[in-house]
Amino acid sequence: MPQYTAPLRDINFVLKDVLKSDKHFASLATREEVSEDLMDAIISEGAKFSENVLSPLNQPGDQEGCTWSEDGVTTPKGFKEAYKQYAEGGWPSMTANPQFGGQGLPNSLGLVVTEMVSSACWSWGMYTGLSQSAARLLEAYASDELQETYLGKMTEGTWGGTMCLTESHCGSDLGLLRTKAEINADGSYSVTGTKIFISGGEHDMMENIIHLVLARVEGAPEGTKGISLFVVPKFLPDENGEVGERNGVHCGSIEHKMGIKASATCVMNFDSAKGFLVGEENRGLNAMFHMMNSARLGTALQGLSAGEASFQGALAYAKDRLQMRSLSGPKNPNGPADPLIVHADVRRMLLTQKAFAEGSRAFIYWVAQLVDTFYFSGDEQARKDAEELSELLTPIAKAFVTETGLESANYGMQVFGGHGFISEWGMEQIVRDLRISTLYEGTTGIQALDLLGRKVMGSGGKQLMVFTKIIHNFCKEQQDKPGMAPFVTKLAELNKEWGEITGKLGEKAMNNADEVGAASVDYLMYAGYVSLAFMWARMVSVALDGDAEDAFLQAKVKTANFYYQRLLPRTESHKIAMLNGADSLMDMPEDAFAF
Amino acid sequence: MPEYKAPLRDMQFVLHDVFHAEQLWQTMPAMEDVNRELADAILEESAKINESLIAPLSQPGHEEGVTWTDGVVTTPKGYPEAFKQLADGGWGGLSGAPEYGGQTMPKMLVLLFEEMLYSSNIAMGLYLTLTSGAALAIASHASEELKTKFLPNMYSAKWAGAMCLTESHAGTDLGMIRTKAVPQADGSYSVSGTKIFITGGDQDLTENVIHLVLGKLPDAPAGSKGISLFLVPKFKVNDDGSLGEANGVSCGSIEHKMGINASATCVMNFDGAEGYLVGEINRGLQGMFTMMNYERLSVGIQGLSAAEAAYQWSSIYARERTQSRAPSGPVNKDGAADPIIVHPDVRRMLLTQKAYVEAGRAFAVYVGKQLDLSKFASGDTQERGAAMVELLTPVAKAFLTDKGLEGTVHGQQIFGGHGYVREWGMEQLVRDVRISQIYEGTNGIQALDLMGRKIAANGGQTLALLVAEMREFSASAAAVQGMDEFLSPLNEAVDNLESLSAYVLEQTKNGDANAIGAASVEFLHVMGFTLYTYMWAMMCKAVLSGDCAQGEAFAQAKLHTARFFVQRLLPQAKGLSESIRNGSASLMDIPEEAFI
Repeated sequence: MPQYTAPLRDINFVLKDVLKSDKHFASLATREEVSEDLMDAIISEGAKFSENVLSPLNQPGDQEGCTWSEDGVTTPKGFKEAYKQYAEGGWPSMTANPQFGGQGLPNSLGLVVTEMVSSACWSWGMYTGLSQSAARLLEAYASDELQETYLGKMTEGTWGGTMCLTESHCGSDLGLLRTKAEINADGSYSVTGTKIFISGGEHDMMENIIHLVLARVEGAPEGTKGISLFVVPKFLPDENGEVGERNGVHCGSIEHKMGIKASATCVMNFDSAKGFLVGEENRGLNAMFHMMNSARLGTALQGLSAGEASFQGALAYAKDRLQMRSLSGPKNPNGPADPLIVHADVRRMLLTQKAFAEGSRAFIYWVAQLVDTFYFSGDEQARKDAEELSELLTPIAKAFVTETGLESANYGMQVFGGHGFISEWGMEQIVRDLRISTLYEGTTGIQALDLLGRKVMGSGGKQLMVFTKIIHNFCKEQQDKPGMAPFVTKLAELNKEWGEITGKLGEKAMNNADEVGAASVDYLMYAGYVSLAFMWARMVSVALDGDAEDAFLQAKVKTANFYYQRLLPRTESHKIAMLNGADSLMDMPEDAFAF
Repeated sequence: MPEYKAPLRDMQFVLHDVFHAEQLWQTMPAMEDVNRELADAILEESAKINESLIAPLSQPGHEEGVTWTDGVVTTPKGYPEAFKQLADGGWGGLSGAPEYGGQTMPKMLVLLFEEMLYSSNIAMGLYLTLTSGAALAIASHASEELKTKFLPNMYSAKWAGAMCLTESHAGTDLGMIRTKAVPQADGSYSVSGTKIFITGGDQDLTENVIHLVLGKLPDAPAGSKGISLFLVPKFKVNDDGSLGEANGVSCGSIEHKMGINASATCVMNFDGAEGYLVGEINRGLQGMFTMMNYERLSVGIQGLSAAEAAYQWSSIYARERTQSRAPSGPVNKDGAADPIIVHPDVRRMLLTQKAYVEAGRAFAVYVGKQLDLSKFASGDTQERGAAMVELLTPVAKAFLTDKGLEGTVHGQQIFGGHGYVREWGMEQLVRDVRISQIYEGTNGIQALDLMGRKIAANGGQTLALLVAEMREFSASAAAVQGMDEFLSPLNEAVDNLESLSAYVLEQTKNGDANAIGAASVEFLHVMGFTLYTYMWAMMCKAVLSGDCAQGEAFAQAKLHTARFFVQRLLPQAKGLSESIRNGSASLMDIPEEAFI
């Protein structure tokens, strides 16, 4: 099992040098000040906790899994204790609102810790990640009374949270959901129905679990316009705000899955459970979308985290394992063979992992800053721009980083040869764990429809132009800087092409409603490659300003070069495929799919 | 978990309508007795036993797995009984040599049985196909005495076979193996050493296991030139053919793996075990090569098989699961939502699977045809077949399995969250197929073999044969009405393949020792895409020439799928080619220390 080591140098490079976190933090009017010392302390403590406490739980957690009984769900050995340490360390309160005991730190800083946690032990991170997302949602949408009741406990981490959306017959199509909520005389609601795929729906790590449940109030309009959001606690708080009476919500079973086995995926039965409306009736999806955006960015981060963990494992193995000689002559003449890393194709796999991990880190951290700006900046225009841009980039980050993360994790396994398939080496677990990330929080296909349909076409291309303009200006600014030409020339070319492709698809879509869906995933992948090309060019520009002798900075430029030469050409394939249109997808009759 | 249905119509289309197998068999004396009727009967029987007996054991076998207790390996419930039925049905001896009780069926046909077997249950299939592989190595290289003693019981699958190559420090690099073979006075060898990753190294399905073991004589030259091959039975065999004493071969443990849980992956300890030389001393790797071409194709077929199962189940799910409305308006007005097959992106995933599976099946049969020609034809035809086998085998192994993983991942994706949950069976397909990209030479090794040994080593001569064949086909098919939309992409792909290989050879000639390794995997994929374009063009030609005997709807679906392939999948060759043409420097320039 690879030992996880937090990539602190790269994290700091991205945060401080590329994304200028000092200036960014200073621009956030409504967040606490973040000094460099504080930031360093948080990151290094987060690294220690992830490396020393969580990483050792990862493989045993996968082996043991969660167990279900009538009394509840038991998480693997050590999970509960690690959580206790985490809560005592004050981590759950990091980005929470100071009004309820939070530290009020920016989300973009919290995300760095989440990355490390997810790399070390994804399943464990699910419980805390979802709890924090639920708390953020209540901060934004719940009444003062609900906030008073729940946020204190959730901020200190004694209570956790979930989001209960899916039912067996409705996943992507939430409009079909059937869970009912009937109003009680006291203004609360009685919630009845069955939810599936509820991560952390039941577990033994926290004393109470606060479910955020989508349901229909009697007489609500059909479809997505009739969905309301409710808080349904596992235990109703008593008059002192402590755990009180057991509510009518129980875990019926847990799923047996391909991976993230230490994360309890629950069937949740709500049987006239007492619930409290969050926000307005029939506006539940709006509130949930709020949470979903942060959850989507969190899922993108999981793609990065797993890709990073896999890269670390594969790199160590490639340096250590001796097998065959280099084609250009022995590199380890005194040994029986050369280390794997001398072989060109092994390098291709490692560099692909490295280019995706580092490019994705820069990309996600940047989007997280945009989200900060949207929530906490005092500048209205800046908030508006950041909102538009982060909405455009979130589906790209979610789908692209998880899809390429899967590719990367498979490479990591491949570098290990036969040992990659064997459980004890830990590489196959990364693939199994990661595989969920292109499915949950909206599949890749759903992200792609969101991007091309809702965001790009929905805004008549305007939302895209916010981004392409930024890239355009960057290229203009950088074109004369020594060393930047090969990068910005290609980037500018693709940026222009991106606009042209969008125009062509727009025309096609006017005549054929299927064109958007037919192009969407290729479009999203194209967008992802260009977005990472932008981030790589930004990193190169910063690296070129640094110490020319610094091996880390040299590696940045070389990895960027690899990305541009060997991965970016994939845009051409996506372009041709999507412009070839929808007919070849739609013409075949349904019955002809199988004989 | 849904049921598996053998895709008999497509198999018959490929075998009879596209490749006109019966006519081909008539040209080879050893195949004279094989005709269409017999072939179809075998396919139908194969479908029956695989659908009804082998497939239902797959999921329970995955859940239960193999267990090891004090050296004894136990396969999941029902496996011994099912294996016996396979054995009794004669399925182990399909391609065996007739003088030892084999049936000498053409590979073109036998591989379709293998496809069904693996689609039903890869883990179970391995026990049988590795036995056939070991038997093939014995039949090709062992002495008459060994053949007489061991082959009949292996063909009848009364005994199973295992291939023992890998040691913990030597996987790809077999030159480093340490297993020792010391000559004994009676002409046998005493074999000692530890082998890992031995599929079917031990099991409770057969009364004996015949190991083919790579080892080194005490005075053997270092490296791969000092490797010999030995036959080492689990139980010695008496002269009368009865089982004798145990032979110092034991299973030390089994691996816990990502998938193929019902297949025993064993650590095998040889402790002064009695072994018999197969072939010549120090020529052990050569003894493996004949078999390896068959094994590699067989592993490739595992990719195809898993993708076929994923396609079947996801195409059923896509028609049953209702979720959201079609972009162009409701299709299932009375229902609460439309079946997800109306959504363009779901169709993209289905058609991607279908296009790769059907081209992959045609390609596997095409490679099987070359194997048959190389074995049963004569003169130039035989030689040409042998050359094509060498060239195409690495592509078949790697491209079929890479596309196999991609297909199963798409299938899983169509199931949404349910795809991740074990009871639906989709995640098992992903896990089971993942090993096929690794074993029998990783796909990176296949790519090096293709680009280095099969193309660069002969200056691209064999590739030129294939290029010429595809051009001839294109020229001859041009007269068939409607072929243009498939032939234009083919012509372009063939030109690109030719110039791309010339580019890499040029770089090599100019002294770039890494040019081959840097281009190899992407090149193999470009070649795979080109060959699949060729397969689709051949299938379309069969349809458009009126050769398709499977009905109009089937024929039209072929054209639709081919169109999807050339329009939406083939463009990937463009990006891959561009990446290769950007050269090796960006891979090699970065110093080792700078990776982290």
